Amino acid sequence: MNTNLAIPLLGFLTFLLFTSCIKDTDFDQAYDIALTPEVELDLIYFNLRARDFYDTITSSSILTVRDTTDLRFLDDGEIQDNLRRAEFFFEFTNTIPRNFNVDFQFLSEANDTTYTTQTQINSGAVGSPVVTEFIENIEGDAIADLTRSFKVVVSVTIPSSSATLEGELDLKSKTTYYLEF
Amino acid sequence: MRNLIILFIAFWADAAIGQNKQVLFGLEEVPQNIMLNPGSKVPQKSHYGIPFFSQIHINGGASGVSTFDIFGKSAVDINTRIENKLYELTDKDFFTATQQLDLINFGWTGKSKLFYSGGIYQELDFIFYFPKDLAVLAWEGNREFIGYDFDLGEISTTGDFMTVFHFGVNKQINSKLTAGVRAKIYSSMFSFKSTHNSGTFTTELGDENSPNVYEHKLQNVDISVETSGYASLRELDGAGEVTSEILGRAFFGGNLGVGIDLGATYDISNRFTATASILDFGAIFHTKDVENYRARSSYTLDGIELIFPPIVDGQGTLPYYEDLEDEVEREVPIDTLHNSYTQMRPVKFNAGLRYSFGKPTDGGTDCNCYNMSGGVSRNQAVGLQYYSIFRPKGPQHAATIFYYRRLFNFLSAKATYTMDSYSSSNVGFGIVTDLGKFNFYVAADNLQSYGNLAKAKSVSLQLGFNLKIDRE
Repeated sequence: MNTNLAIPLLGFLTFLLFTSCIKDTDFDQAYDIALTPEVELDLIYFNLRARDFYDTITSSSILTVRDTTDLRFLDDGEIQDNLRRAEFFFEFTNTIPRNFNVDFQFLSEANDTTYTTQTQINSGAVGSPVVTEFIENIEGDAIADLTRSFKVVVSVTIPSSSATLEGELDLKSKTTYYLEF
Repeated sequence: MRNLIILFIAFWADAAIGQNKQVLFGLEEVPQNIMLNPGSKVPQKSHYGIPFFSQIHINGGASGVSTFDIFGKSAVDINTRIENKLYELTDKDFFTATQQLDLINFGWTGKSKLFYSGGIYQELDFIFYFPKDLAVLAWEGNREFIGYDFDLGEISTTGDFMTVFHFGVNKQINSKLTAGVRAKIYSSMFSFKSTHNSGTFTTELGDENSPNVYEHKLQNVDISVETSGYASLRELDGAGEVTSEILGRAFFGGNLGVGIDLGATYDISNRFTATASILDFGAIFHTKDVENYRARSSYTLDGIELIFPPIVDGQGTLPYYEDLEDEVEREVPIDTLHNSYTQMRPVKFNAGLRYSFGKPTDGGTDCNCYNMSGGVSRNQAVGLQYYSIFRPKGPQHAATIFYYRRLFNFLSAKATYTMDSYSSSNVGFGIVTDLGKFNFYVAADNLQSYGNLAKAKSVSLQLGFNLKIDRE
C-alpha cells in the first residue's frame, strides 16, 4: 500500500485547479456568426371580376381600380437593419379578354413614394385562363427604399371595358425575405 | 438578436452540471453524504457545517455540444459548424444548470443512537431542452421547408430557485441495516415551467382552391408557461429591488412545498454493501403570485385580401392590416391565467454496490467478532453506482464505477468513471480530509477536460468545510 500517494494526489488536484483553462478557442469568431434565414410569406391576393371595371349606375367604364393596404412590418427597425434582399412573386390568372397594367406604389407613413414597380398582364379568355408571372427582385440600395415603406397602393388599369365584358382577374402573391442577423 | 444567440451558445456550452454527485455518494467521511442518502452509515458523532461553506455545489452541462465544438479554432467557417451541430442535436438534447449552497448544516447523535441532521440550503435548478425545429426555423427560415411540420411541442423548460429546510433521522437498525428519512419544506422564490406543449407550424403550397400561394398553418397549438414569483417582480424598479424581494421570500415567504428523502444501507456480507436512496420525492404548491400564459389555436394565414371597394371621396381605404392583426389576436389568443399549479420536484434515485478490500481501518482485524455479519470498514473499495433524475422529457441516467481508498486516517480519496447523457468518459475525483475536528472536502468531475474546459460538455464541483466530532 503506497500511502505516499497522498502528496501526489493533493498536488494533482492543486495542479488541476491552477491549470484548468479554456484554450484553442477563438471567441472573436462570434462576430462572424450570421443567421441567414430565408422566409417565405404570403403577401396580398385579390379576385377582380370584369364587372368591377364598369359602373352600371352611370353606364361608364372604370378604367382603373385601386386599393391600399398597410404593410407596416416593412419599416420595422429589425427589418430595416437585417433585410438583405426581397423577392416579390406575383401570379396573375386572367380570363378577361383584356391586357392589364398593374402598378405597385409603395408609400411611407407620410405618403411619400418610396418604391414603385409595374407589370403587364396578358389577356385571357373565359374558359381558358392565362397565367402571367411577375418577379420583382429588390436588393442593394433599393432595400433602403423598400424598408421605408409603410403601405402599398395597387392600381389595376384596363384599356377599355363594357357592360358585357366577362371573366376574372386573380392575383396570388408572396415574398421571399432574405434576412441576415 | 445575434448577440442573444451568441450568449445562448456560449452559455449553453459553458455552464455545466446536473445533480449527480457521484463522487460524494457513499463517501461517508463527508457529513453532507447524508444529504445524498439519509440512510448512509454515519461515522461521526456530530458535525457542524461552517455556515455558507458546508456545501457549495455547482453543476452545468449540455448534452451534445461543447464550447469547443462551436468556438474551437478551425478552418471550417463557424456558421457551417453551427449549422452542422444544429442538425446533429435532437430535441432530447438539453442544457442544465444546478447550484446548491448550504446555509447551515448540522447533525448530532441523540438518544437511542438516532442520528439527527438538519439545515437549510438554497437551490437553483434549471433545464432547457433544445427546441430543434424552432432553432432550424430561426436559423434557416421556412423557404427550404415548405410542407414541413415544425414541432412547437419541443419547447420544454423548467427553472426553480428555492430555499429548502430539512430535518432527517438516521438509525442503524441492526448490524447489517442502516436506514434514514428526511423531511423537506421547500420555499420557492421564483419558478417557471413550460412542459407538455404541442402543435405544429407549417407553410404549405396552396392548391388551386387556395386563395394565395401558401397557407401558413398553426395546427393544434397548445403552449403554456406557468410562473410563480414573477408577476410581482415586473412592478419593481431595478435589480436591487428585485433581489431584495426575492431574498425576502427565502424564509417561508414564497410558495411552499413538501418532500421526503429515503435511504438505506445494507451490508450483504462483510465485504459487499448495497445502498439506495430516493431524493426530493415531493412537490411545490404554487398558489401565490402565480401568472400563467396559455396559447391555444388552429389558424391558417393566407395574406391580405384586397377587395377594391368603390372609392368614395373623403373615405379612407379598408383597414386590412389592422383587421389581420385583430384576426391573429382573436384566433391565436394568449390567455393570462392566475390558477394555482403544482410542480413535482425532479425525483432523484441513487443506488450503489460496494466491494471493500484491503486492510480493515478500525483496528487491524479481518473479523469483528461482535459483528460477524456486518460490513467491515476497509481501506479500499470498488463498486458501481447508478443515478437517475426525472426530467420533463423522461429520466436521465448515469452509471458510475468507482475506486475508493483511505490513504491515511485523515485523508481519503475516491475516483469515479461515469457514463451519462453528457459523455461516456467522465472521470471524477474527490478528496476528504479530517484535520483534527476540521473536515474539508472537494470533488469534481470531467477532470480529463480541465486541461481545456472548452471541450467539456459538463462540469460539476462540490466543496465544503465542516467541524466534525468523531465517535468515542
